[in-house]
Amino acid sequence: MIKKEGSFKYLEIKNISKNFGETFVLKNIHLDVFKGEFLCLLGPSGCGKTTLLRIISGLERQTNGDIVQDGLLISNSPTEKRDFGIVFQSYALFPNLNAKQNIAYGLENKKINKKEIEKRTNNLLRLVGLEKYSDQFPSQLSGGQQQRVALARAMALSPGLLLLDEPLSALDAQVRSKLRNEIKLIQKKLNLTTIMVTHDQTEALSMADRVVVMERGHIAQIGTPFELYKNPITPFVADFIGKMNLLKGKYDKKNCVFYYLNNRFLISQNTEYSFLENCLLGIRPEDIEIIKFRKNIEKEENILRVKIKEITYLGTIFRLTVVLESKLEENIFVDVISNQVISNNLKIGDFIDIKLKKEKIKLFESNL
Amino acid sequence: MKVIYKSMYFKKNFNKSFNILLLRILIIFVFILVSFFIIIPLLPLFLKSFSDNKNNFIGFENFINYIQNPSLTQSFINSLKVAITTTFFSVLIGFIYAYALTRTRLPLKKFFNTFSLFSLYIPPLAVAIGLIYIFGKQGLITQGFFGTIPGFDINLYGFNGIIIGEIFYCFPQALIILVSALNLSDQRLYEAAESLKASPLRKFLTITLPNIKYGLMNSFFICFILSFTDFGVPKVVGGNFNVLATDIYKQVVGQQNFAMGATISIYLLVPSILAFLIDKNFQKNEASLISGKSIPFKPRKNLIVDSIMFIFCSLILILVFGVFSSIVLASLIKIWPYDISLSLQNFRFSNVAGNGYEPYFNTVFMSIYTAIFGTIFVFFTAYLVEKFKPLKKIRMLIYFFSTLPIAIPGLVLGLSYILFFNKPSFSVPFLDFQIFNPFSLLYGTMGILVLANIIHFFTVCFISATTTLKQIDKEFEEVSESLKVPFYKTFLRITIPLSLPTILEIGSYYFVNSMITVSAIIFLYPAKIPVSSVSIVNMDDAGDTASAAAMSTLIVLTSLFVRLIYEFTSRNVSKKSSVWINPLET
Repeated sequence: MIKKEGSFKYLEIKNISKNFGETFVLKNIHLDVFKGEFLCLLGPSGCGKTTLLRIISGLERQTNGDIVQDGLLISNSPTEKRDFGIVFQSYALFPNLNAKQNIAYGLENKKINKKEIEKRTNNLLRLVGLEKYSDQFPSQLSGGQQQRVALARAMALSPGLLLLDEPLSALDAQVRSKLRNEIKLIQKKLNLTTIMVTHDQTEALSMADRVVVMERGHIAQIGTPFELYKNPITPFVADFIGKMNLLKGKYDKKNCVFYYLNNRFLISQNTEYSFLENCLLGIRPEDIEIIKFRKNIEKEENILRVKIKEITYLGTIFRLTVVLESKLEENIFVDVISNQVISNNLKIGDFIDIKLKKEKIKLFESNL
Repeated sequence: MKVIYKSMYFKKNFNKSFNILLLRILIIFVFILVSFFIIIPLLPLFLKSFSDNKNNFIGFENFINYIQNPSLTQSFINSLKVAITTTFFSVLIGFIYAYALTRTRLPLKKFFNTFSLFSLYIPPLAVAIGLIYIFGKQGLITQGFFGTIPGFDINLYGFNGIIIGEIFYCFPQALIILVSALNLSDQRLYEAAESLKASPLRKFLTITLPNIKYGLMNSFFICFILSFTDFGVPKVVGGNFNVLATDIYKQVVGQQNFAMGATISIYLLVPSILAFLIDKNFQKNEASLISGKSIPFKPRKNLIVDSIMFIFCSLILILVFGVFSSIVLASLIKIWPYDISLSLQNFRFSNVAGNGYEPYFNTVFMSIYTAIFGTIFVFFTAYLVEKFKPLKKIRMLIYFFSTLPIAIPGLVLGLSYILFFNKPSFSVPFLDFQIFNPFSLLYGTMGILVLANIIHFFTVCFISATTTLKQIDKEFEEVSESLKVPFYKTFLRITIPLSLPTILEIGSYYFVNSMITVSAIIFLYPAKIPVSSVSIVNMDDAGDTASAAAMSTLIVLTSLFVRLIYEFTSRNVSKKSSVWINPLET
């Protein structure tokens, strides 16, 4: 095998299943992780992402399947024989040891002389930017600093694989985004293969090279953040990564037309959809255009006349919640640049026309 | 193919993992110890209860003889009466006192809190002796303070005396449990109830009581067992009012009738185990209603309630101090009530059933050994049960065995230890084959006394060690594993320092209880190693009550002294650890 960046499979997860009696936590998971890659396991709670991480670490044992790390089959190796470092959500820093002692904990057990330990611990402290805090106990450190100590401790034995279990979820928003960048920088600098578990899609999208979206014990989709956003293959992924309006209707394959209530939508002919006529139409809020003030509306396609139900300010954009007169209970979300709302003086109760961009429309199999 | 080859290598390697193997061996080793110290010694006791004194199997004959003997069945009924009455009053007093400490603005709360457990340091035997000097025939109150005021006789000897003594002994136990139950409260629940216009009674019935029901049940259980099986108080103030515990003593020590002693033990053991199982079944449903985010209850000022509580708690403490001072006084007075000049002659222990200071020092050493070895054993057992994954069923059994000793009365434990440990060999059933009993080497040594004490007080220590270990993040073990640090290093470097306050607490608990206990060792102590609690019994039997009081005073003072050392050490420990626990205070 040639060690070529991006193509060398560092970790292979083969057909991993985990069940407790009748209930499946994980079902036939296949996954390859490449050398130096930052991979995120993303999903709602209970989707099995943490269990998968614990199986990779050996803290939990799979019911079936194999794991190969760096060419070695480690399926049955005990945790202490596997090559990884882990950061827990709670950090699990030893409260009676200071930052430095926490980091040196694993090193001291190896047969390395004291000078070498000292040197490596100091390097790690510098790496996470905590040189000044080496004598502080965990309770004297802020959440972000504790997190960094945990990270340094996990990297102390120079593991080939770094596992992060929701490492940022206990922190407040500002610290979190700062640490995101730092972790990412350190990870790239050391070219350290990393698997992170998270339920926060922004975190996953901003940090990961590739994201694995998990749903009820299986993998829903794997891809780069952009791929997942652009081409979600299931409505679940579509709505979990970003926001997606999902309208249930009928698909006329021959004419490439989708019927939603009394409305017709033309579907781009570039993609061939092979499923039955009952399906879901998906469109992201930002792919809907407001065309209230255009003149020749009749010539345009894919238009809906809707009523504004709610206007939510989200910073640079407004999110409008709109409804059809004939179906008041189904909300459709439309993202509009703030200026447009202000200059057009849009108010709750106004009627507007919206256009669903034909080339942005996706169809999904309806599993309802 | 390369991969498959390596897989076989690793599969083998996994099974050979030294740490996991070591762990398994340790768990099995502890399992064997707990079995041999707790469960197996009960077997010869059961066998004995089905045999006559020449070891012939006679079936249920002993049990039938027992039931047909009206004076013996009366003891059983008496024991039940004592236990039920004591339990009721102990839990009631314990609850009111605990409520005053946790839910009111009781004046001088710190003082009442510190001295609430004072009577735990007084051996039940000594309480009984103290009661004699207050309420006995020549007692202070009975004689109206040497005739200065009209006397008042409460008929101490018999049921009344036993009940008062047992309440002294049991109420602090209920208090400990109920204080911790009442401490777990959520201010917001009360605020919510108030906003819904609930009356104080309704709040009490719908919030307070449901929150402490497990604690309440547990304190009923503890008080029942303690008073049902106690030996010290009835021995001294029981008079003609016989209970099971004194019957066993009479059968074994008086008549050397081990078979009947064993039979009565079963009668004592069965209700205890029954109460234990009921409580265990009840506690199984316990789920914490109070979350980590709860806001602790802050009592408001209420002049009427606060003053009633103040009077109540003062009365209790006056009684406790009264009993204690009368013990001390009794030990210092020459010949009560004829020559009430003070002297230290009672502390010589030379002309009495005692052997000078030998029993005292034996007891101190026994308590030190119990504290050291007991703490190590109990903490290590709890650690293995609580922190690891392998051998789940065996760990569950160890857990069950460890909670059992609280239901085994001291006398029963002592008797079963004699029967088990004095056998030089076991005979294998159906085979003509004998196995050497290695534990018999302990018989007749200080070792067997220490062991009996360790097991007798095992449950409380085990539960408190388990509770502490549960609070320590279990991810510490997982992190260590990922850092390739073996578990025993993490145990020494992380777990023990973090648990040090509890470890000291367990040590002090073992020491104090070994100082005052009599029931577990009265059958066991070898003639060449007299112990002080037994010499109190003997001195009291010989009518030398003043010397018994003197020995009691020594025991109480020693326990208090050790408790002081404990407070001092644990304050130092918490000072050190406050850096990592409470950064704001440093």
